[in-house]
Amino acid sequence: MFIRVDNYRYRLPASYKKGMKIDGMVYADAELLKQIEGDQTREQIANVATLPGLVGKSLAMPDAHQGYGFCIGGVAAADLNDGVVSAGGVGFDINCGVRLLAVDADPEDVRKNLEALLNQIFRDVPCGTGRKGSVDLGGKEIDAVLTDGARWAVQHKYGLEKDLARIEEFGCLPGADPKKVSGRAKERGHQQLGTLGSGNHFVEIQSVEDLFDDTTAHAFGVHKGQIVVLIHSGSRGLGHQVCTDYLDLMDGSMKKYGISVVDRQLACVPIASREGEDYLHAMAASANFAFANRQMMTYWVREAFRRVVGTGNIQVVYDVCHNIAKTEEHLVDGRRKTVLVHRKGATRAFPKGHPVLPGDLRDVGQPVLIPGSMGTESYILVGTDRAMEETFGSSCHGAGRAMSRTKAKRETSAEELLADMKRKGILVRGQSKSGLTEEKPDAYKDVNKVVEVIHGAGIARKVARLVPLAVMKG
Amino acid sequence: MVLAGVRFLDHPSDIGIEARGVSCAEAFSRAAAAFVSLILDPSSVDATEQRAIVLHATDVEQLLVRWLSEILYLYDGCGYVSKEFRISICTPTHLEATIVGEPIQLEKHAVRMDIKAVTYHQLAVWQDADGWGVRVYLDI
Repeated sequence: MFIRVDNYRYRLPASYKKGMKIDGMVYADAELLKQIEGDQTREQIANVATLPGLVGKSLAMPDAHQGYGFCIGGVAAADLNDGVVSAGGVGFDINCGVRLLAVDADPEDVRKNLEALLNQIFRDVPCGTGRKGSVDLGGKEIDAVLTDGARWAVQHKYGLEKDLARIEEFGCLPGADPKKVSGRAKERGHQQLGTLGSGNHFVEIQSVEDLFDDTTAHAFGVHKGQIVVLIHSGSRGLGHQVCTDYLDLMDGSMKKYGISVVDRQLACVPIASREGEDYLHAMAASANFAFANRQMMTYWVREAFRRVVGTGNIQVVYDVCHNIAKTEEHLVDGRRKTVLVHRKGATRAFPKGHPVLPGDLRDVGQPVLIPGSMGTESYILVGTDRAMEETFGSSCHGAGRAMSRTKAKRETSAEELLADMKRKGILVRGQSKSGLTEEKPDAYKDVNKVVEVIHGAGIARKVARLVPLAVMKG
Repeated sequence: MVLAGVRFLDHPSDIGIEARGVSCAEAFSRAAAAFVSLILDPSSVDATEQRAIVLHATDVEQLLVRWLSEILYLYDGCGYVSKEFRISICTPTHLEATIVGEPIQLEKHAVRMDIKAVTYHQLAVWQDADGWGVRVYLDI
């Protein structure tokens, strides 16, 4: 059972379950912990702790909920020498992430033209199942995207050079090898670049409602009352297939490495194995596809603003991954160590002074972007030293689901949901009515409470609160 | 959606399928029909084109994952939607089937949602007094 450490931390001792090699730790208050205890999250935190070669703790953020294998909102770091990499520990939507754009326009002009703007974005950014992008990556072009990431898009005039400095890993995860990505994955991805997808993916036009830290907000290029746009999407069918392929490979390879897992979705191989290295090369390629994907959508958003409001002057505030495995240096038991950090529904939250941040952000810290559920607030946070000490520089990634999709659909009709959004003054466009109801606000935890825990625990700090004006759901 | 021998399972973020049949082949076939019904309305699909599928696996659970992953790949990678699933061989490690459907046409087919992948989470294939059963969770 969980043992309360303080108001925001609950420890799951390694004695909780046979085979656990390290402790678990959940960041939550009493109420969120109760929600977390309502599904299989605790067992999944414990199951992750049984994997070979993990260091520190098996962590879960306050937005944690039951996933498959790893919980969503989970963080686990593996020793490079004797640790494992798990494709399921990254997830099917490799480099699913969020990007925030700051619009340099009179907010009143945007508000007056909001419906036209939303309709234009809905026309230009393909969304929903089965929709193709306007770019077909035939021949070797897809390999260039997988190698170069967002830089490919910028080189093809879908963005500005300065955008790249405001993307995690500068929009290109090193080590990508397109040869390690299957033909099937490329077939699923070659017509999907610049598409939103469905499920919980969205493009949302928001207003900056409150600033908690003016100095940091201004360093991020954000001010009160400003219009911003949040994009949530990932690596589409390409990344999904890469995970499927390598999960299958890892499942079949564990025996030869003497690894057995308590849940088959946790299938893993040594990082220092051919299969492990191949996966990381393919994962980096998929991550680069996702960076390019969000860059392409940024282009369409800029074009929509240019056409409807008359300005395309839109800056990238930041772009973060929240399904990824990264090789990073961290302090483990007081010693500096290079580890592979799995973030499955968790966001990197590096503090000021961290050497991987670009110059201007190094003075303030990395922006951490936390989308709320449809119709609720989103947040900009900033990374902290405490996150480096406790969570391998990680924070939460959103509100976290509290209700199954089936229940959400059963409880609320699309008409009721749209009427509720209209009462709140939020415009909504979606490809599918059933998809909308699955994403209703109360199907998620209260993002305000999730962020309060993160802020209270000190693993990221509040900078700004954003409120929705118009949303396009996939 | 009501499909013979099929039950959809709740999951906090995703969805599962439990399918039953008198044989393993029937349970697999019904799981496939349920799988496609999540992506689109099967009644909007005409059975005009056949595809042959041959799969091998190390065990029957992996065979189920590969079977549904194949149908997903045909949809998302090849733009082909399937409607009928005629499984001729279904041993614990080997499956042969003919599936029938047609190329996707967004103006014709009533699409519902993307399925990202088929997971190994709480995956099960079993035989009991009532026949065969399968359980699988999907990432959506």
